[in-house]
Amino acid sequence: MNTDLLFPALLTGIFCYLGAIETPWLFGMSGGFYIVGRPLIAGFLIGIFFGDIKAGILCGLAVQAVFIANLSTGGATNSEITYAAYGGIGLAMATTKNPAIALTLAILIGQTFGLIFYNGRMALYSFWNNRADKAANENNDHGIVLNHLIYPQITTFILRAVPVFLAIYFGKGLVNWLIHSIPQEVTHIIQVLGGVLPALGIALLMSIVIKNKAHLIFFMAGFVLLSFAKLSMIAIVFLAALVAYLYYYASAHSNGTDYQKNESSQGGTGSTDTKDEYEDDDLF
Amino acid sequence: MMNRDTSSPKKPLTKHELNQIWYRWGFTHLSSMSYEKIQAHAWAYSYIPFARKYYHDEPEKKRRLLKRHSMFYNTEPQTGQLINGIVASLEEQIALGNNVSEEMPVNIKATLMGPLAGIGDSIIQGIVVPILLSIAMSLASGGSPLGPIFYIVTYGILGPMISYIAFHSGYRLGVNAIDIIVGENSKRITDAFNILGVMVVGALAANTIVLKTIAKVPLGGKTKPLESVLNGIFPGLLPLIIVLFGWWLVSSKQYSATKVILILTVIVTIGCLIGLF
Repeated sequence: MNTDLLFPALLTGIFCYLGAIETPWLFGMSGGFYIVGRPLIAGFLIGIFFGDIKAGILCGLAVQAVFIANLSTGGATNSEITYAAYGGIGLAMATTKNPAIALTLAILIGQTFGLIFYNGRMALYSFWNNRADKAANENNDHGIVLNHLIYPQITTFILRAVPVFLAIYFGKGLVNWLIHSIPQEVTHIIQVLGGVLPALGIALLMSIVIKNKAHLIFFMAGFVLLSFAKLSMIAIVFLAALVAYLYYYASAHSNGTDYQKNESSQGGTGSTDTKDEYEDDDLF
Repeated sequence: MMNRDTSSPKKPLTKHELNQIWYRWGFTHLSSMSYEKIQAHAWAYSYIPFARKYYHDEPEKKRRLLKRHSMFYNTEPQTGQLINGIVASLEEQIALGNNVSEEMPVNIKATLMGPLAGIGDSIIQGIVVPILLSIAMSLASGGSPLGPIFYIVTYGILGPMISYIAFHSGYRLGVNAIDIIVGENSKRITDAFNILGVMVVGALAANTIVLKTIAKVPLGGKTKPLESVLNGIFPGLLPLIIVLFGWWLVSSKQYSATKVILILTVIVTIGCLIGLF
């Protein structure tokens, strides 16, 4: 029994469960997926478990940059961020503590095992959903609690904490062997790739926030404020807030005045027949 | 308001009971998430105390309540609490025997979940989380725990706060909240937030992507490193090119994340082998 590794691996597995999208215990997504599930926080926590906070955060930073735009819309996800963060950073911390290795492992785990487990879990939950439906139909409060909360959480705990714990506890040797048998050139490529892959996260983010190609100019402005003017992120947030306010102000005064008139005249007549209005598809 | 059918008057929801609906959803919105139902059963779960209060001796009404809150539902769960607030005010009216049809909450949920998911996802996933993370990442550079702690504290306050304010505004405004969500002013505010997001994402790109060339170019008889020549013209030009290329692949070509990873890996591998990076 390797007790040095046992507790860190166990805690990493448990936190992989606590940071999952479906975990309720930390105020749902707010404290789970959006805080404990972020790779930067995962790196910090795993750093504490392994007794090397600095290395943990450096691994977390590398992984976070790539997964900065991990999107989960309509239940579908582009990669499984929680398995990626806890599996990748955990394995790296158990071996070399090298951020580039953490990143490589995180991407491999997130895109393969992570997505398989994620989709498997979604399918398993349909079973509990059917039983929760039946419970609602039978006025069975207790059944709803069991099939909405208790059983699904036991399922996901088994699917998250156990594989991550096993991977770190027993995968250490394999990863160590892989790292030492990798040729110099490949290590160099992985290091360069670690710097380039954040571009994917940023690109995904751009595809949701840039709704009009002309808005690329705001992107460029943000880019040069950092690369040319070397401003800090916090300073740029305030400048961006100023620009956003000016945009809001300008849009209110260019076409807003006619619109407000229209709205107020419609409001008088349309407010009573509410139901038809909500069902009008054109509204949305 | 007195109920016509029974002799004992039904009382409105207390503050505590209202908060119970809020936090039951707040904790468990995705706890039984499958592709078929997503957040459906979190509604039934959050209405169990409500059902016990109002329908303990009317099993048929209770059954209808639980059933209408076990239908497919999916929205951004924090900003989407606005809908939970609106529905709580409607369900209260129904339970008190006022003139609100039982289809009303179902229709509200079905019509609002889409628009609110759109607004909520772009605000939470597109703007708030990346901005806080990018500040946290710059604070964490070099391995400082200040970065993660900053993020835990700020989002730990902001996330539940958004959820709480959204729920209680929804409850207070009732169906009037709908005008605010789909109104012209909310569109302008969302657009302005998007501009803020786009600028911050630009800075984030310059801050996080690292790509340097190790190639040398002949310049005036001597060879100079290409990187310093490029930096003299446009610092961060290579990261900019790579991110614009990635954006083109994702948005115009509609490539999946895995495909983009493979393409970037091929580019980097070739670049390294020919001595460019």
